[in-house]
Amino acid sequence: MRRIRVIPVLTIDRDARLVKTVGFGKRTYIGDPINAVRIFNTKMVDEILLLDIDASTDGRGPNFDAIGDIVEEAFLPMGYGGGIRSVDDAARLFALGLEKVVLSTEAFADPGLVTAIADRFGSQAVAVSLPYGRKLIGGEQVLTRSGKQRTGQAPVAAAQAMAAAGAGEIIVYSIDRDGKWTGFDLPTVSAVAAAVAIPVVACGGAAGLDDFLPAIRDGGASAVAASSLFVYRAPKQGVLISYPDEADLRDRLFAKLDA
Amino acid sequence: MTLATSPLPATSAQVCTRTVMDGSDPDIRFDADGVCNYWHEYQAFAATLPDAAAKQARLDTLLAAVRADGKGKPYDCVIGLSGGVDSSYVTWLAKQWDLRPLIVHFDNGWNNELAVRNIENICKKLDFELHTFVMDWDEFRDLQRAYFKASVVDIEVPTDHMISGALYRLAAKYNLKYILSGLNHATEWLMPPSWNYAKFDLVNLKSIHRTFGEKPLRKLPALGVWQRAWYQLVRGIHSEAVLDLVDFDKAKAKELLIRELDWVDYGGKHYESLFTRFYQGYILPRKFGVDKRKAHLSNLILSGQATRDEALRELQQPTYDAAMQERDKAYVRKKLGFSEAEFEELLVRPNQRHEIYGTDQKQREFYFRVIGTAGKILRTVGLKR
Repeated sequence: MRRIRVIPVLTIDRDARLVKTVGFGKRTYIGDPINAVRIFNTKMVDEILLLDIDASTDGRGPNFDAIGDIVEEAFLPMGYGGGIRSVDDAARLFALGLEKVVLSTEAFADPGLVTAIADRFGSQAVAVSLPYGRKLIGGEQVLTRSGKQRTGQAPVAAAQAMAAAGAGEIIVYSIDRDGKWTGFDLPTVSAVAAAVAIPVVACGGAAGLDDFLPAIRDGGASAVAASSLFVYRAPKQGVLISYPDEADLRDRLFAKLDA
Repeated sequence: MTLATSPLPATSAQVCTRTVMDGSDPDIRFDADGVCNYWHEYQAFAATLPDAAAKQARLDTLLAAVRADGKGKPYDCVIGLSGGVDSSYVTWLAKQWDLRPLIVHFDNGWNNELAVRNIENICKKLDFELHTFVMDWDEFRDLQRAYFKASVVDIEVPTDHMISGALYRLAAKYNLKYILSGLNHATEWLMPPSWNYAKFDLVNLKSIHRTFGEKPLRKLPALGVWQRAWYQLVRGIHSEAVLDLVDFDKAKAKELLIRELDWVDYGGKHYESLFTRFYQGYILPRKFGVDKRKAHLSNLILSGQATRDEALRELQQPTYDAAMQERDKAYVRKKLGFSEAEFEELLVRPNQRHEIYGTDQKQREFYFRVIGTAGKILRTVGLKR
């Protein structure tokens, strides 16, 4: 049976507080990231992505102390993104126990950084996140710096460039769907997945387990990521960490991939 | 009934012959037969309890009032759900009673996975919406740190105080008059006065925080004398111990929750929170010489839900797994931001009575004087009988 990774994404702010955004805008404080990661760890999730959504905007590097305290609770692969500006930053993060770094703002400012990290640690250790939004006229573009800075590049072209630079994985992150529970943006996920040979992670909009299958089967993604779904009980309901259990994943996702 | 005081001084070696309370409680007294004061007090208390018919009548009246209050509102009452037996059972009962509760979970940063899973299953199976009150962790941590530094016995005051504060605050916000609580005398009647502290003493809480805290408390839902007076007298919000109005048998309740709601047992009482587990299973016995299981088990004996032999056997077991205690200790220390040396020092620092930091006694006395005077005036002018 084919298995795919189902990844919770946790976002922290400049004070290392766990927050959840809607469309990269309005923020809700949802608690302590250390405890959240500990619960996910007990639930035996495949992998966690931790993103500091203020680092690039603040123009600072990763909050290593806070990240270390969080990573310590995870006996599962964990990736981190936010404010990574040098190979040294990446090295320090790997030393803390992270498996993967996620670049976005800095990858666009300097694609050589992707190459340098990939050369030193292997491309499996560097992912590039492509947060994108719809342009007023025609198509989509990648928006870095927490959605504030236009790159002028379409997700497909950006993905190809980052794959060429040495990225081992592309995260296709729809800003418009972030926190909206409307399902993945399948056309963009498909277009990116068709354009690059490396794994593509669909992110932004998942409302339930049933959204995962089309992203993989029809969209060609190799993994799926979600945040609201795993930190809220349901839309407009309370904060509660959850993750589908193995039987659910098997029956409603993996088994269907084989069919 | 008058209680003969034992000629022997209370020592931890002397164990009550009816319950499993012993001299580790400084206020315990034994009669000539070696029976402790709690047993006698419970008999007197039990004699005042309503019979089944009277309980049912009270419950019917309460449920009618709850439903009436909820007319035209999205909810009719508030229930705080921790994922533990008592609150989970109250939630299950609410469904049987056809109530429309606002289910509130209080997240103080110490949930464990089992609690979270229980809450998820309960809301899913009973089809109730969940509302989470997320404590500001930075402030809450600062308050918990202050309690550690104060070296007082009841480090759970911040949690218990703020849960109640949050429940009243939400009841007021949604204009609801009833909070259904899981408090009950079948499992929670007995607690030696020196083993815990008044949960609503905001003067004590603030003073401990003023002395040892480092950050201002701005976002936590306080519930002192005045806040309670506002909620209860002005807004008319009541907290109702509904488990006292039904036959609450803990073991049977657990079985039902497991069968009906896929509920998972997490071991000790209130072990749904990692902090509570560490506090009750490690800090209390080691630092304060208190094993709360003695009170909990004695309570079950008093309400006829356990035998003394069962309780004694249970007490032979460690409070919980030793390796897990060490893991919890490292985690609690890290989360509260203490260095190893600091934390070890706090665990051996001389214990202090809560009262040395001040109490709300004067506020309470003043409050009751005002209430009393107001009552007199109203009676004098004929507005109240």
